[in-house]
Amino acid sequence: MPLVIKDEYPEKLFREDGKRLDGREKTELRPIKMEVGVIENADGSAYLEWGNNKIYAAVYGPREVHPHHLAKPDSGILRVFYRMTTYSVFERKRPAPGRREKEISMVITDCLKPLLFLELYPGTAFEVFIEVMDADGGTRCASTTVAALALADAGIPMKSLVTAVAVGKIDDQLVVDLSGIEDKAGQADLPCAITWFNEELSLLQFDGDMNIEQMDEFLKLAKSALSEIYELQLQALKKKYIAIQEEVSGGNT
Amino acid sequence: MSFKDEEQVSKDDNHEDEEEEAVISEEDSDLDEFEDEETTRNLVVPGEILTTDTKTYLPGRGTLLTPDRSKIISLNIGLKQTKKNYINVIPLRGFYTPRPGDKVIALVTDKNPVKYRCDINAKDDAVLKPKNTMKRGRISRGMRGGPPDRNNSNAEMYDVGDILIAKVLSADRLNSPELTTVGKYLGKKNNGIVISIDPPKIPRVIGRDGSMIKNLKNLTKSTIFVTQNGRIWLKGEDIAHERLLIDAIRKIEREAHTVGLTDRMIEFIENEKKKRGLK
Amino acid sequence: MNIKRVISAIEKNYIIQNLRREERFDDRGLWEYRKISIKHDIIASAEGSADVSLGKTRIVTGLKYDVGEPFPDMPDEGVCTVMAELLPIASPLFERGPPDEQSIELARVVDRGIRHADCVQTKKLCIEAKKAVYILFVDMYVLNYAGNLIDAGGISALTALISSHIPEGKMEDGKLVWTGKYLDGEFIVKELPLVLTYGKIDDMIFLDPSLPEELISDGKLSISVTEDKITSMQKSGEATFSFDEISMLAKKSIEIGKKLRKDLNFWQYKVNYE
Repeated sequence: MPLVIKDEYPEKLFREDGKRLDGREKTELRPIKMEVGVIENADGSAYLEWGNNKIYAAVYGPREVHPHHLAKPDSGILRVFYRMTTYSVFERKRPAPGRREKEISMVITDCLKPLLFLELYPGTAFEVFIEVMDADGGTRCASTTVAALALADAGIPMKSLVTAVAVGKIDDQLVVDLSGIEDKAGQADLPCAITWFNEELSLLQFDGDMNIEQMDEFLKLAKSALSEIYELQLQALKKKYIAIQEEVSGGNT
Repeated sequence: MSFKDEEQVSKDDNHEDEEEEAVISEEDSDLDEFEDEETTRNLVVPGEILTTDTKTYLPGRGTLLTPDRSKIISLNIGLKQTKKNYINVIPLRGFYTPRPGDKVIALVTDKNPVKYRCDINAKDDAVLKPKNTMKRGRISRGMRGGPPDRNNSNAEMYDVGDILIAKVLSADRLNSPELTTVGKYLGKKNNGIVISIDPPKIPRVIGRDGSMIKNLKNLTKSTIFVTQNGRIWLKGEDIAHERLLIDAIRKIEREAHTVGLTDRMIEFIENEKKKRGLK
Repeated sequence: MNIKRVISAIEKNYIIQNLRREERFDDRGLWEYRKISIKHDIIASAEGSADVSLGKTRIVTGLKYDVGEPFPDMPDEGVCTVMAELLPIASPLFERGPPDEQSIELARVVDRGIRHADCVQTKKLCIEAKKAVYILFVDMYVLNYAGNLIDAGGISALTALISSHIPEGKMEDGKLVWTGKYLDGEFIVKELPLVLTYGKIDDMIFLDPSLPEELISDGKLSISVTEDKITSMQKSGEATFSFDEISMLAKKSIEIGKKLRKDLNFWQYKVNYE
């Protein structure tokens, strides 16, 4: 039976005043908050709030591989598990992982793997668990971004961080950082991630209709947004330590 | 396993020895790099550019020279350090990688007639063979690494759940690390407790020339044994002193990257002793 | 952090010796809870939610609803069902995969505590008898495991229910429509059950086992209480409890439950939605 309130999409994705439905400009990001070291038991962890998205990432590793037959004798392996809670979406999701979650796990693995030095840890596994507690568009990008922080927090040597964002087209306008509604009701969605080590794209997907002339525009918008988000990641990694330095030099014990 | 064992403290039980905290400080050259002059309080993160002057500087620990040789970048979150013309990054977070000669606190997790399996907080469990558990000064002929002879009092017998102070004999990329409990201060611990801290912070708990650990020991009237794999064995005169000591160690862990830590720790412990009514 | 299934003998001794002196490592008494902190209504997509920490154990619970046909033997009653997942991020001891014994125990003990206390007013969750009732899903996700998931789970489930804001529906010409209003915690929740879990080592019993205490416990007893009634119990582990011990714990549970309910002041988590 349908829910009491139906999940319906608005007709227009821009308001009378030219702003998006949540009040943003076309190139404006949603509010983003990040924090590391949030899961006590994990080797490394991070939390991200991005608009209404609330996502935890936790890393365990290097550790033994279960099941054993997946272990590689000459290299460590990276496994990423992207999951959503039942209550993270409008209509309750079944608890077991579905195909979408498995696909996203794979895409994020491909993104993170080149940053690591897996050949130094043969026979072991690095496992990254991503839990989406609340979802509102762009979860795969937000997840990639927070997973990179968790790996850094775990003290695993990495060539650089990776940052992701989704740009898209709604009501014929190119915009940055699609919200849930914009993702569902819009015309095109391009999630992408950049690896800062070589400043190249390590995640790239696209759905929708796009003219060839718009392709460059899309990528330009993405690059600018990615730099902005990268700054936030760097701050999140450092701020815990800087806060403590300031606290002790301020004369407080 | 009951607490009767506490009363069976034997004479050559190593935890009475005053010098034991110094055990890991001798040969290790990169101890307490946190206090070095060359270590800045400059916090860097993975991918951060440390220098573009690749003619003058060379990539040291925790760094990488980019393929186009134009920059040296950090691989870890840590403190930037320049020593001679090497740029190093002293990591603030990380996992323990066993090296031969390391002293570790091991937990026996499994045993069979030919070996013990131990957890040493590393990616692999370590192996301890009975021939490497013999008490010092008594080498028995005829033992060729076979099953331990129960009548032979030379080999220390361990059980699952035992805490051992051990030394890493060998460790490489492909094989399980091997341990020994033959040696000064090594062997089983019958009492006390073990806590874990971030392995990179261990040098800070020891301090330059053991200054930090001496303070901890004296001010809290405890015995402490610090090992490379991020584990610390301690025993205080009562649970209140042990709690204080552990709180102090957690504070060191949290503030490892700051300056003036040793003085601050002395102040902290004195204040807490007053607050908690301890002597 | 390394928790392994094997607890060292010296740690086990340490805990036991101190318990004999009625001391616990975290400076608590035998009948004291660790610090409890609660945040409510933090998940935008859920119709009720709670983020509860009990010491370092942390559980985030969300409430979702569906509208469906009632059970044939209860044609005018809605349904409330509780599920739990022990996320692999919460502990190196947890593995990925379908719910195991521990998560099923958590879900069922919390569920029974709620059900038998007459906590959720299922008769009020009926839109049209035999045709449409509310089905409430209380889903608990463990984010960090530091001992005693059950008590933390109980508090989080109750808080999520109290923070609920479920769209009110009614049948109009055979179609389900929204009245524009919401059902809230006050409408749905009548009683405030709490579940209290005790660990037992040798002959010593204590409330709210921390992780090391839990891992060396010979047994556990969980007792659910309302202000003046015992509503359910569950014993687990190999230890046995004497009749006197059970009687003592039942009385203690009512007493401690009363104080805890007062301290936590659950009704502050009710939410008003327009």
